[in-house]
Amino acid sequence: MLLEVKDLQKQFNGHQVLDGVDLQIHQGEVLVIIGPSGSGKTTLLRNLNFLEHADSGTMHFADQTIDLGKPSKQQVQWVRRHTAMVFQNYNLFKNKTAQQNIAEGLIYGHGVDAKTANQKAAQALKNLGLYDRRHYFPTQLSGGQQQRIGIARATVLKPEVVLFDEPTSALDPELVGTVLKDMQRLAENGQTMVVVTHQMWFARNVASRVAFFADGQIQEIGKPADIFDHPQKQRTKQFLNALADNY
Amino acid sequence: MNSQKILSVIWRGFPNTLTLLIWSFIFATILGLALTWLDLRKNRFARGIATVYLNLVRGTPPLLMLLMAYYGLPVLLKAIGIDIDHWTRMTFGVLGLTLGWSGYLSEAFRSAYLSVDRGQIEAARSVGMPDRTTFWQIIIPQAAMIALPNIENLVVGLVKATSLVYVIGLYDLYNQASNLSNQTAGLHQLQIFVLLALTYWLLVLVIEALFRLIRRRYRQMI
Ligand SMILES: Nc1ncnc2c1ncn2[C@@H]1O[C@H](COP(=O)(O)OP(=O)(O)OP(=O)(O)O)[C@@H](O)[C@H]1O
Ligand SMILES: [Mg+2]
Repeated sequence: MLLEVKDLQKQFNGHQVLDGVDLQIHQGEVLVIIGPSGSGKTTLLRNLNFLEHADSGTMHFADQTIDLGKPSKQQVQWVRRHTAMVFQNYNLFKNKTAQQNIAEGLIYGHGVDAKTANQKAAQALKNLGLYDRRHYFPTQLSGGQQQRIGIARATVLKPEVVLFDEPTSALDPELVGTVLKDMQRLAENGQTMVVVTHQMWFARNVASRVAFFADGQIQEIGKPADIFDHPQKQRTKQFLNALADNY
Repeated sequence: MNSQKILSVIWRGFPNTLTLLIWSFIFATILGLALTWLDLRKNRFARGIATVYLNLVRGTPPLLMLLMAYYGLPVLLKAIGIDIDHWTRMTFGVLGLTLGWSGYLSEAFRSAYLSVDRGQIEAARSVGMPDRTTFWQIIIPQAAMIALPNIENLVVGLVKATSLVYVIGLYDLYNQASNLSNQTAGLHQLQIFVLLALTYWLLVLVIEALFRLIRRRYRQMI
Protein backbone atom coordinates (compact mmCIF):
# COMPACT_ATOMS: atom_id res chain seq x y z
CA MET A 1 0.00 0.00 0.00
CA LEU A 2 1.25 3.43 -0.93
CA LEU A 3 -0.85 5.78 1.12
CA GLU A 4 -3.37 5.28 3.88
CA VAL A 5 -5.42 7.72 5.92
CA LYS A 6 -7.24 6.67 9.05
CA ASP A 7 -10.08 8.34 10.88
CA LEU A 8 -9.72 11.65 9.05
CA GLN A 9 -11.89 14.32 10.66
CA LYS A 10 -12.58 17.80 9.35
CA GLN A 11 -15.27 20.27 10.21
CA PHE A 12 -16.10 23.76 8.96
CA ASN A 13 -17.86 25.97 11.49
CA GLY A 14 -19.27 23.01 13.38
CA HIS A 15 -20.32 21.21 10.21
CA GLN A 16 -18.62 17.81 10.11
CA VAL A 17 -17.61 17.43 6.46
CA LEU A 18 -15.19 14.53 6.87
CA ASP A 19 -16.42 12.22 9.58
CA GLY A 20 -13.74 9.63 10.12
CA VAL A 21 -12.66 8.81 6.58
CA ASP A 22 -10.59 5.64 6.12
CA LEU A 23 -8.93 5.35 2.75
CA GLN A 24 -6.21 3.22 1.23
CA ILE A 25 -4.48 4.02 -2.01
CA HIS A 26 -2.54 1.25 -3.71
CA GLN A 27 0.55 1.66 -5.80
CA GLY A 28 -0.31 2.16 -9.46
CA GLU A 29 -4.07 2.22 -9.08
CA VAL A 30 -6.62 4.69 -10.35
CA LEU A 31 -9.03 5.37 -7.52
CA VAL A 32 -12.11 7.26 -8.62
CA ILE A 33 -14.21 9.01 -6.01
CA ILE A 34 -17.83 9.75 -6.79
CA GLY A 35 -20.50 11.26 -4.61
CA PRO A 36 -23.12 13.96 -4.26
CA SER A 37 -22.26 17.62 -4.73
CA GLY A 38 -21.22 19.33 -1.52
CA SER A 39 -20.50 16.04 0.24
CA GLY A 40 -16.82 16.82 0.82
CA LYS A 41 -14.90 15.15 -2.02
CA THR A 42 -12.83 18.26 -2.72
CA THR A 43 -12.21 18.69 0.98
CA LEU A 44 -10.98 15.11 1.20
CA LEU A 45 -8.46 15.62 -1.60
CA ARG A 46 -7.28 18.93 -0.17
CA ASN A 47 -6.63 17.31 3.17
CA LEU A 48 -4.36 14.77 1.53
CA ASN A 49 -1.83 17.43 0.47
CA PHE A 50 -2.52 19.92 3.27
CA LEU A 51 -4.17 22.63 1.23
CA GLU A 52 -6.66 22.18 4.03
CA HIS A 53 -5.64 21.06 7.50
CA ALA A 54 -7.54 18.21 9.11
CA ASP A 55 -8.74 18.35 12.69
CA SER A 56 -7.41 14.87 13.34
CA GLY A 57 -6.43 11.64 11.67
CA THR A 58 -3.36 9.67 10.68
CA MET A 59 -1.58 9.31 7.38
CA HIS A 60 0.83 6.55 6.43
CA PHE A 61 2.63 7.53 3.26
CA ALA A 62 5.63 5.57 2.01
CA ASP A 63 7.63 5.11 5.22
CA GLN A 64 6.22 8.15 7.01
CA THR A 65 3.53 8.31 9.65
CA ILE A 66 1.93 11.73 10.01
CA ASP A 67 -0.47 13.02 12.61
CA LEU A 68 -2.88 14.94 10.40
CA GLY A 69 -4.03 17.06 13.33
CA LYS A 70 -0.58 18.56 13.78
CA PRO A 71 1.81 17.79 10.95
CA SER A 72 5.24 19.39 11.11
CA LYS A 73 6.30 21.89 8.47
CA GLN A 74 8.76 19.33 7.11
CA GLN A 75 6.03 16.72 6.81
CA VAL A 76 3.76 19.12 4.96
CA GLN A 77 6.55 19.96 2.52
CA TRP A 78 7.46 16.30 2.16
CA VAL A 79 3.91 15.28 1.31
CA ARG A 80 3.54 18.15 -1.14
CA ARG A 81 6.74 17.15 -2.88
CA HIS A 82 5.52 13.57 -3.26
CA THR A 83 2.03 14.39 -4.44
CA ALA A 84 0.65 16.75 -7.04
CA MET A 85 -2.76 18.15 -7.76
CA VAL A 86 -4.83 18.93 -10.80
CA PHE A 87 -7.46 21.57 -10.15
CA GLN A 88 -10.98 22.02 -11.43
CA ASN A 89 -10.14 25.54 -12.61
CA TYR A 90 -6.64 24.56 -13.81
CA ASN A 91 -4.99 27.26 -11.68
CA LEU A 92 -2.11 27.67 -14.08
CA PHE A 93 0.17 30.46 -12.90
CA LYS A 94 -1.20 33.46 -14.75
CA ASN A 95 2.10 35.31 -14.90
CA LYS A 96 4.01 32.34 -16.33
CA THR A 97 4.14 30.87 -19.81
CA ALA A 98 3.06 27.32 -20.58
CA GLN A 99 6.62 26.08 -20.34
CA GLN A 100 7.35 28.00 -17.16
CA ASN A 101 4.20 26.60 -15.59
CA ILE A 102 5.55 23.11 -16.01
CA ALA A 103 9.14 23.97 -15.10
CA GLU A 104 8.59 26.07 -11.96
CA GLY A 105 7.56 23.19 -9.71
CA LEU A 106 10.69 21.30 -10.69
CA ILE A 107 12.88 24.31 -10.09
CA TYR A 108 11.42 25.76 -6.90
CA GLY A 109 9.73 22.71 -5.41
CA HIS A 110 12.19 19.97 -6.30
CA GLY A 111 15.51 21.76 -6.66
CA VAL A 112 16.05 20.79 -10.29
CA ASP A 113 18.35 23.19 -12.15
CA ALA A 114 16.59 25.59 -14.50
CA LYS A 115 18.09 24.18 -17.69
CA THR A 116 17.06 20.59 -17.00
CA ALA A 117 13.66 21.73 -15.78
CA ASN A 118 13.03 23.68 -18.96
CA GLN A 119 14.12 20.75 -21.10
CA LYS A 120 11.70 18.49 -19.27
CA ALA A 121 8.93 21.05 -19.60
CA ALA A 122 9.62 21.43 -23.32
CA GLN A 123 9.56 17.66 -23.74
CA ALA A 124 6.27 17.44 -21.86
CA LEU A 125 4.80 20.05 -24.18
CA LYS A 126 6.06 18.14 -27.21
CA ASN A 127 4.36 15.00 -25.92
CA LEU A 128 1.11 16.95 -25.70
CA GLY A 129 1.56 18.45 -29.15
CA LEU A 130 1.59 21.89 -27.55
CA TYR A 131 5.24 22.74 -28.06
CA ASP A 132 4.37 25.62 -30.39
CA ARG A 133 2.43 27.18 -27.51
CA ARG A 134 5.29 27.04 -25.04
CA HIS A 135 5.57 30.83 -24.76
CA TYR A 136 1.83 31.41 -24.44
CA PHE A 137 0.33 32.65 -21.22
CA PRO A 138 -2.67 30.83 -19.73
CA THR A 139 -5.15 33.44 -20.96
CA GLN A 140 -4.00 32.71 -24.50
CA LEU A 141 -4.79 29.00 -24.19
CA SER A 142 -8.11 27.18 -24.37
CA GLY A 143 -9.51 25.55 -21.24
CA GLY A 144 -8.62 22.12 -22.57
CA GLN A 145 -5.04 23.18 -23.32
CA GLN A 146 -4.74 24.77 -19.90
CA GLN A 147 -5.90 21.63 -18.17
CA ARG A 148 -3.60 19.37 -20.18
CA ILE A 149 -0.74 21.65 -19.18
CA GLY A 150 -2.04 21.52 -15.61
CA ILE A 151 -1.75 17.75 -15.76
CA ALA A 152 1.75 18.00 -17.23
CA ARG A 153 2.72 20.43 -14.46
CA ALA A 154 1.65 17.81 -11.93
CA THR A 155 3.09 14.70 -13.56
CA VAL A 156 6.45 16.16 -14.58
CA LEU A 157 7.26 16.10 -10.86
CA LYS A 158 7.00 12.30 -10.88
CA PRO A 159 4.77 12.34 -7.82
CA GLU A 160 3.79 9.14 -6.02
CA VAL A 161 0.15 10.19 -6.29
CA VAL A 162 -1.65 12.71 -8.47
CA LEU A 163 -4.87 14.12 -7.05
CA PHE A 164 -7.46 15.21 -9.61
CA ASP A 165 -10.38 17.35 -8.49
CA GLU A 166 -13.04 17.27 -11.20
CA PRO A 167 -10.45 17.98 -13.89
CA THR A 168 -12.98 18.17 -16.73
CA SER A 169 -16.00 19.78 -15.15
CA ALA A 170 -15.08 23.33 -16.16
CA LEU A 171 -14.47 22.33 -19.77
CA ASP A 172 -16.68 22.62 -22.82
CA PRO A 173 -17.99 19.16 -23.72
CA GLU A 174 -15.90 18.86 -26.86
CA LEU A 175 -12.70 19.42 -24.89
CA VAL A 176 -13.40 16.84 -22.18
CA GLY A 177 -12.24 13.95 -24.35
CA THR A 178 -8.70 15.19 -24.90
CA VAL A 179 -8.14 15.67 -21.19
CA LEU A 180 -9.57 12.27 -20.30
CA LYS A 181 -7.30 10.69 -22.92
CA ASP A 182 -4.26 12.25 -21.28
CA MET A 183 -5.43 10.84 -17.97
CA GLN A 184 -6.03 7.43 -19.44
CA ARG A 185 -2.51 7.39 -20.88
CA LEU A 186 -1.13 8.29 -17.48
CA ALA A 187 -3.06 5.46 -15.91
CA GLU A 188 -1.69 3.02 -18.46
CA ASN A 189 1.81 4.15 -17.55
CA GLY A 190 1.20 3.09 -13.98
CA GLN A 191 0.75 6.52 -12.39
CA THR A 192 -1.10 6.29 -9.10
CA MET A 193 -4.10 8.59 -9.31
CA VAL A 194 -7.00 9.66 -7.15
CA VAL A 195 -9.71 11.19 -9.30
CA VAL A 196 -12.84 12.97 -8.17
CA THR A 197 -15.11 13.09 -11.18
CA HIS A 198 -18.63 12.94 -12.48
CA GLN A 199 -17.42 11.34 -15.72
CA MET A 200 -18.94 7.91 -15.31
CA TRP A 201 -17.34 6.69 -18.52
CA PHE A 202 -13.95 7.29 -16.93
CA ALA A 203 -14.99 5.70 -13.64
CA ARG A 204 -16.27 2.57 -15.36
CA ASN A 205 -13.48 2.11 -17.89
CA VAL A 206 -10.31 3.50 -16.40
CA ALA A 207 -10.72 3.19 -12.63
CA SER A 208 -9.11 0.32 -10.75
CA ARG A 209 -11.53 0.98 -7.90
CA VAL A 210 -14.46 3.30 -7.38
CA ALA A 211 -15.31 4.81 -4.01
CA PHE A 212 -18.70 6.26 -3.24
CA PHE A 213 -18.37 9.11 -0.79
CA ALA A 214 -21.30 10.58 1.12
CA ASP A 215 -22.22 11.81 4.59
CA GLY A 216 -18.61 12.39 5.53
CA GLN A 217 -17.43 8.85 4.84
CA ILE A 218 -16.52 6.39 2.13
CA GLN A 219 -19.76 4.45 1.92
CA GLU A 220 -18.66 1.77 -0.44
CA ILE A 221 -15.54 0.95 -2.40
CA GLY A 222 -14.78 -1.71 -4.97
CA LYS A 223 -14.24 -2.64 -8.59
CA PRO A 224 -16.16 -0.39 -11.00
CA ALA A 225 -18.42 -3.19 -12.14
CA ASP A 226 -19.30 -4.10 -8.56
CA ILE A 227 -20.11 -0.55 -7.56
CA PHE A 228 -22.06 0.31 -10.68
CA ASP A 229 -23.86 -3.00 -11.26
CA HIS A 230 -24.16 -4.43 -7.76
CA PRO A 231 -24.09 -1.61 -5.24
CA GLN A 232 -24.51 -2.96 -1.73
CA LYS A 233 -25.84 0.08 0.09
CA GLN A 234 -29.15 1.83 -0.36
CA ARG A 235 -27.36 5.20 -0.34
CA THR A 236 -25.18 4.16 -3.28
CA LYS A 237 -28.17 2.85 -5.25
CA GLN A 238 -30.03 6.11 -4.73
CA PHE A 239 -27.09 8.12 -5.97
CA LEU A 240 -26.55 5.95 -9.04
CA ASN A 241 -30.25 5.97 -9.88
CA ALA A 242 -30.36 9.74 -9.62
CA LEU A 243 -27.38 9.90 -11.96
CA ALA A 244 -29.05 7.59 -14.45
CA ASP A 245 -32.14 9.80 -14.38
CA ASN A 246 -30.04 12.83 -15.17
CA TYR A 247 -28.16 11.40 -18.09
CA MET B 1 3.11 89.11 -24.00
CA ASN B 2 3.39 86.16 -26.35
CA SER B 3 2.81 82.55 -25.46
CA GLN B 4 6.41 81.57 -25.95
CA LYS B 5 7.55 84.05 -23.37
CA ILE B 6 4.91 82.90 -20.90
CA LEU B 7 5.86 79.29 -21.40
CA SER B 8 9.53 79.99 -20.89
CA VAL B 9 8.70 81.50 -17.50
CA ILE B 10 6.29 78.74 -16.48
CA TRP B 11 8.69 76.01 -17.53
CA ARG B 12 11.32 77.30 -15.19
CA GLY B 13 9.20 75.52 -12.60
CA PHE B 14 9.33 72.25 -14.46
CA PRO B 15 12.49 70.82 -12.80
CA ASN B 16 10.90 71.36 -9.38
CA THR B 17 7.62 69.78 -10.41
CA LEU B 18 9.43 66.77 -11.85
CA THR B 19 11.72 66.42 -8.83
CA LEU B 20 8.72 66.52 -6.50
CA LEU B 21 6.86 63.99 -8.60
CA ILE B 22 9.66 61.48 -8.93
CA TRP B 23 11.00 61.55 -5.39
CA SER B 24 7.57 61.65 -3.77
CA PHE B 25 6.56 58.66 -5.85
CA ILE B 26 9.68 56.70 -4.96
CA PHE B 27 9.48 57.40 -1.24
CA ALA B 28 5.71 56.95 -1.13
CA THR B 29 6.11 53.56 -2.82
CA ILE B 30 8.71 52.44 -0.29
CA LEU B 31 6.72 53.72 2.68
CA GLY B 32 3.50 52.40 1.15
CA LEU B 33 4.96 48.92 0.81
CA ALA B 34 6.12 49.04 4.41
CA LEU B 35 2.63 50.08 5.52
CA THR B 36 1.05 47.28 3.52
CA TRP B 37 3.47 44.85 5.07
CA LEU B 38 2.53 46.07 8.55
CA ASP B 39 -1.15 46.05 7.70
CA LEU B 40 -1.05 42.40 6.65
CA ARG B 41 0.75 41.20 9.81
CA LYS B 42 -1.07 38.95 12.23
CA ASN B 43 0.44 41.08 14.97
CA ARG B 44 -2.25 43.39 16.33
CA PHE B 45 0.16 46.16 17.24
CA ALA B 46 1.72 46.25 13.76
CA ARG B 47 -1.68 46.37 12.14
CA GLY B 48 -2.76 49.06 14.60
CA ILE B 49 0.07 51.36 13.54
CA ALA B 50 -0.82 50.95 9.88
CA THR B 51 -4.52 51.48 10.52
CA VAL B 52 -4.01 54.68 12.51
CA TYR B 53 -1.65 56.07 9.88
CA LEU B 54 -3.99 55.19 7.00
CA ASN B 55 -6.98 56.74 8.74
CA LEU B 56 -5.10 59.94 9.52
CA VAL B 57 -3.92 60.24 5.94
CA ARG B 58 -7.34 59.50 4.52
CA GLY B 59 -8.88 62.30 6.54
CA THR B 60 -6.28 65.00 5.86
CA PRO B 61 -6.20 67.29 2.80
CA PRO B 62 -2.84 67.10 0.96
CA LEU B 63 -2.39 70.84 1.38
CA LEU B 64 -2.52 70.43 5.13
CA MET B 65 -0.01 67.60 5.00
CA LEU B 66 2.44 69.86 3.20
CA LEU B 67 1.95 72.57 5.81
CA MET B 68 2.37 70.11 8.65
CA ALA B 69 5.53 68.70 7.12
CA TYR B 70 6.97 72.16 6.64
CA TYR B 71 5.94 73.84 9.90
CA GLY B 72 5.13 70.91 12.15
CA LEU B 73 7.89 68.40 11.57
CA PRO B 74 10.83 70.68 12.56
CA VAL B 75 9.08 71.55 15.82
CA LEU B 76 8.24 67.94 16.52
CA LEU B 77 11.76 66.71 15.81
CA LYS B 78 13.39 69.52 17.70
CA ALA B 79 11.53 68.30 20.77
CA ILE B 80 13.49 65.06 20.55
CA GLY B 81 16.73 66.86 19.71
CA ILE B 82 16.84 66.56 15.94
CA ASP B 83 17.42 69.79 14.06
CA ILE B 84 16.05 69.86 10.50
CA ASP B 85 15.69 73.62 10.10
CA HIS B 86 18.36 73.64 7.41
CA TRP B 87 16.52 71.16 5.20
CA THR B 88 15.50 72.61 1.86
CA ARG B 89 11.93 73.44 0.94
CA MET B 90 12.15 70.73 -1.66
CA THR B 91 12.83 68.14 1.02
CA PHE B 92 9.77 69.24 2.93
CA GLY B 93 7.71 69.28 -0.24
CA VAL B 94 8.70 65.72 -1.04
CA LEU B 95 8.03 64.73 2.57
CA GLY B 96 4.60 66.32 2.62
CA LEU B 97 3.49 64.61 -0.56
CA THR B 98 5.04 61.32 0.54
CA LEU B 99 2.90 61.36 3.68
CA GLY B 100 -0.31 61.31 1.72
CA TRP B 101 0.62 59.18 -1.24
CA SER B 102 2.24 56.46 0.84
CA GLY B 103 -1.17 55.97 2.39
CA TYR B 104 -3.06 55.95 -0.89
CA LEU B 105 -0.53 53.65 -2.55
CA SER B 106 -0.57 51.34 0.43
CA GLU B 107 -4.30 50.84 0.02
CA ALA B 108 -3.83 50.06 -3.65
CA PHE B 109 -1.07 47.55 -2.85
CA ARG B 110 -3.11 45.95 -0.11
CA SER B 111 -6.25 45.44 -2.13
CA ALA B 112 -4.21 44.11 -5.07
CA TYR B 113 -2.39 41.68 -2.81
CA LEU B 114 -5.65 40.44 -1.36
CA SER B 115 -7.25 39.99 -4.75
CA VAL B 116 -4.62 37.60 -6.06
CA ASP B 117 -6.55 34.40 -6.68
CA ARG B 118 -6.18 31.92 -3.80
CA GLY B 119 -6.02 29.15 -6.37
CA GLN B 120 -2.67 30.50 -7.57
CA ILE B 121 -1.18 30.11 -4.12
CA GLU B 122 -2.65 26.65 -3.73
CA ALA B 123 -1.25 25.59 -7.09
CA ALA B 124 2.18 26.79 -6.01
CA ARG B 125 1.93 24.86 -2.76
CA SER B 126 0.73 21.76 -4.57
CA VAL B 127 3.93 21.63 -6.64
CA GLY B 128 6.00 22.00 -3.49
CA MET B 129 6.96 25.63 -3.93
CA PRO B 130 8.02 27.14 -0.59
CA ASP B 131 5.87 30.06 0.59
CA ARG B 132 8.66 32.59 0.22
CA THR B 133 9.21 31.63 -3.41
CA THR B 134 5.48 31.68 -4.04
CA PHE B 135 5.40 35.20 -2.68
CA TRP B 136 8.10 36.53 -5.01
CA GLN B 137 7.37 34.41 -8.08
CA ILE B 138 3.59 34.33 -8.10
CA ILE B 139 1.90 36.73 -5.69
CA ILE B 140 3.98 39.88 -6.13
CA PRO B 141 4.03 39.90 -9.96
CA GLN B 142 0.30 39.28 -10.12
CA ALA B 143 -0.49 41.84 -7.44
CA ALA B 144 1.61 44.37 -9.33
CA MET B 145 -0.44 43.79 -12.46
CA ILE B 146 -3.68 44.13 -10.55
CA ALA B 147 -2.52 47.32 -8.82
CA LEU B 148 -1.29 49.00 -11.98
CA PRO B 149 -4.45 50.95 -12.97
CA ASN B 150 -4.82 52.27 -9.42
CA ILE B 151 -1.16 53.24 -9.30
CA GLU B 152 -1.56 55.09 -12.56
CA ASN B 153 -4.49 57.08 -11.18
CA LEU B 154 -2.54 57.91 -8.05
CA VAL B 155 0.45 59.14 -10.05
CA VAL B 156 -1.81 61.38 -12.11
CA GLY B 157 -3.29 62.67 -8.86
CA LEU B 158 0.21 63.26 -7.55
CA VAL B 159 1.06 65.38 -10.60
CA LYS B 160 -1.81 67.67 -9.75
CA ALA B 161 -0.96 67.70 -6.06
CA THR B 162 2.58 68.94 -6.77
CA SER B 163 0.94 72.28 -7.57
CA LEU B 164 0.13 72.70 -3.87
CA VAL B 165 3.74 73.30 -2.89
CA TYR B 166 3.28 77.04 -3.37
CA VAL B 167 2.08 77.02 0.26
CA ILE B 168 5.62 76.30 1.39
CA GLY B 169 7.14 78.74 -1.08
CA LEU B 170 8.43 76.30 -3.68
CA TYR B 171 8.50 77.46 -7.28
CA ASP B 172 6.98 74.71 -9.39
CA LEU B 173 4.99 75.07 -12.64
CA TYR B 174 1.94 76.41 -10.87
CA ASN B 175 3.76 78.85 -8.64
CA GLN B 176 5.72 80.24 -11.60
CA ALA B 177 2.49 80.80 -13.49
CA SER B 178 0.73 82.33 -10.57
CA ASN B 179 3.68 84.58 -9.90
CA LEU B 180 3.84 85.71 -13.50
CA SER B 181 0.15 86.47 -13.46
CA ASN B 182 0.56 88.64 -10.36
CA GLN B 183 3.55 90.46 -11.80
CA THR B 184 1.58 91.41 -14.89
CA ALA B 185 -1.32 92.56 -12.71
CA GLY B 186 -3.56 89.79 -13.99
CA LEU B 187 -3.49 91.23 -17.49
CA HIS B 188 -2.59 87.89 -19.14
CA GLN B 189 -4.17 85.70 -16.50
CA LEU B 190 -6.37 83.58 -18.75
CA GLN B 191 -3.63 83.04 -21.30
CA ILE B 192 -1.17 82.06 -18.59
CA PHE B 193 -3.48 79.57 -16.97
CA VAL B 194 -4.52 77.98 -20.24
CA LEU B 195 -0.84 77.46 -21.07
CA LEU B 196 -0.26 76.05 -17.58
CA ALA B 197 -3.19 73.66 -18.00
CA LEU B 198 -1.76 72.50 -21.34
CA THR B 199 1.58 71.88 -19.68
CA TYR B 200 0.06 69.66 -16.98
CA TRP B 201 -2.04 67.92 -19.58
CA LEU B 202 1.08 67.11 -21.59
CA LEU B 203 2.84 65.76 -18.52
CA VAL B 204 -0.11 63.51 -17.74
CA LEU B 205 -0.19 62.30 -21.34
CA VAL B 206 3.45 61.25 -21.06
CA ILE B 207 2.74 59.38 -17.83
CA GLU B 208 -0.25 57.63 -19.33
CA ALA B 209 1.85 56.60 -22.29
CA LEU B 210 4.44 55.11 -19.95
CA PHE B 211 1.81 53.08 -18.13
CA ARG B 212 0.33 51.99 -21.42
CA LEU B 213 3.72 50.62 -22.40
CA ILE B 214 3.97 48.60 -19.20
CA ARG B 215 0.41 47.33 -19.59
CA ARG B 216 1.01 46.29 -23.16
CA ARG B 217 4.16 44.43 -22.19
CA TYR B 218 2.34 42.36 -19.56
CA ARG B 219 -1.15 42.39 -21.02
CA GLN B 220 -1.54 38.63 -21.40
CA MET B 221 -0.81 37.92 -17.79
CA ILE B 222 -4.04 38.84 -16.12
N1 LIG C 1 -13.19 26.69 3.32
C1 LIG C 1 -14.44 26.30 3.68
N2 LIG C 1 -15.08 26.94 4.69
C2 LIG C 1 -16.31 26.56 5.07
N3 LIG C 1 -16.99 25.54 4.54
C3 LIG C 1 -16.41 24.86 3.55
C4 LIG C 1 -15.10 25.20 3.07
N4 LIG C 1 -14.79 24.34 2.07
C5 LIG C 1 -15.85 23.52 1.93
N5 LIG C 1 -16.81 23.81 2.81
C6 LIG C 1 -18.08 23.09 2.98
O1 LIG C 1 -17.81 21.73 3.06
C7 LIG C 1 -18.75 20.97 2.35
C8 LIG C 1 -18.05 20.08 1.35
O2 LIG C 1 -17.50 20.87 0.33
P1 LIG C 1 -16.66 20.24 -0.87
O3 LIG C 1 -16.26 21.34 -1.74
O4 LIG C 1 -15.58 19.39 -0.30
O5 LIG C 1 -17.74 19.30 -1.57
P2 LIG C 1 -17.63 18.49 -2.92
O6 LIG C 1 -18.04 17.11 -2.61
O7 LIG C 1 -16.30 18.67 -3.52
O8 LIG C 1 -18.75 19.17 -3.82
P3 LIG C 1 -18.79 19.37 -5.42
O9 LIG C 1 -19.13 18.03 -6.02
O10 LIG C 1 -19.90 20.35 -5.62
O11 LIG C 1 -17.47 19.88 -5.84
C9 LIG C 1 -19.71 21.95 1.73
O12 LIG C 1 -20.85 22.02 2.53
C10 LIG C 1 -18.98 23.24 1.75
O13 LIG C 1 -19.86 24.31 1.89
MG1 LIG D 1 -15.62 19.61 -5.32
